[in-house]
Amino acid sequence: MDFVLDYISVNTFWTILSIVHALLAVALLGALTHQAAAVLAPPRAGAAGGFVTRFRAVSGPSYAAAVCVLWVLAFMLGGWIYTKYRIYVRIPIEQEGMWKTLGAFELKEHLATIGLGLLPFYWHLWKNARNTAYDSARKWLTVVLAAICWYAFLTGHVVNNTRGFGL
Amino acid sequence: MSTVTETAAPASSRFGAFALVFGICFGILYVVCDMAALPMFTYHPGTDRIDPGFAPARRDEGPAMYWYGWIATSALGASILGLLAALLPEKIRRQIPLALAWVVPVVLLPVLIYSLKFYWRWE
Repeated sequence: MDFVLDYISVNTFWTILSIVHALLAVALLGALTHQAAAVLAPPRAGAAGGFVTRFRAVSGPSYAAAVCVLWVLAFMLGGWIYTKYRIYVRIPIEQEGMWKTLGAFELKEHLATIGLGLLPFYWHLWKNARNTAYDSARKWLTVVLAAICWYAFLTGHVVNNTRGFGL
Repeated sequence: MSTVTETAAPASSRFGAFALVFGICFGILYVVCDMAALPMFTYHPGTDRIDPGFAPARRDEGPAMYWYGWIATSALGASILGLLAALLPEKIRRQIPLALAWVVPVVLLPVLIYSLKFYWRWE
């Protein structure tokens, strides 16, 4: 990747990676939130087609593969950025004594990792979406993954705001 | 024809059993690796050095990172256990509760929060 640094600065390079990581997270958040809404509150038959109804009326199975791919990509990119975070972000935040911010980020890293391990079974459950025996597990695992994604997204946003880009 | 219930539903395919047991065990092993300091390797981002197992930060070489090593240890252990589960007879595979897939991460949450108690302080 060093050839990229002939054209852009190191700060710009890592800033771009952080923004791509965030954009992947936005896409993942949208997909999982749609899917969680669809399993938690499916629209009633004959309900009027307003915004909320349309929001939760998505076809859950069609999101499953995208969710897995986006989670893995966001995770890999996050894991790459994490090496720089450890030195250039975490240490200054430690020096500021913002321990709860760091703890919240540590929890994000743990939960995102546990979520990663659950993806194969999540995919299996949605691949067999017509199997009613899977309904409850499919619903609650989707909700748990959506909750993890929301927590990770918001925490990442807070930490990014704490340190800022390109410092 | 037997009625299939939620708790004894078919994780009957070999992949289903593997994926379920992998997901459950990966989370548990990850938390154990974190709390017991059991990374497969340690990465030192300041110098790009990788040491096997747990290695403390070296003087004047920046911090040590264990997260990658925890993931590797957990993935290896969970893969072995998942493969063993996939080899079980279908009659036994069907008995693995599907609900564990989401109950385990929910139960692990307070454990993780406790493991991070160092950070929950006012100073």
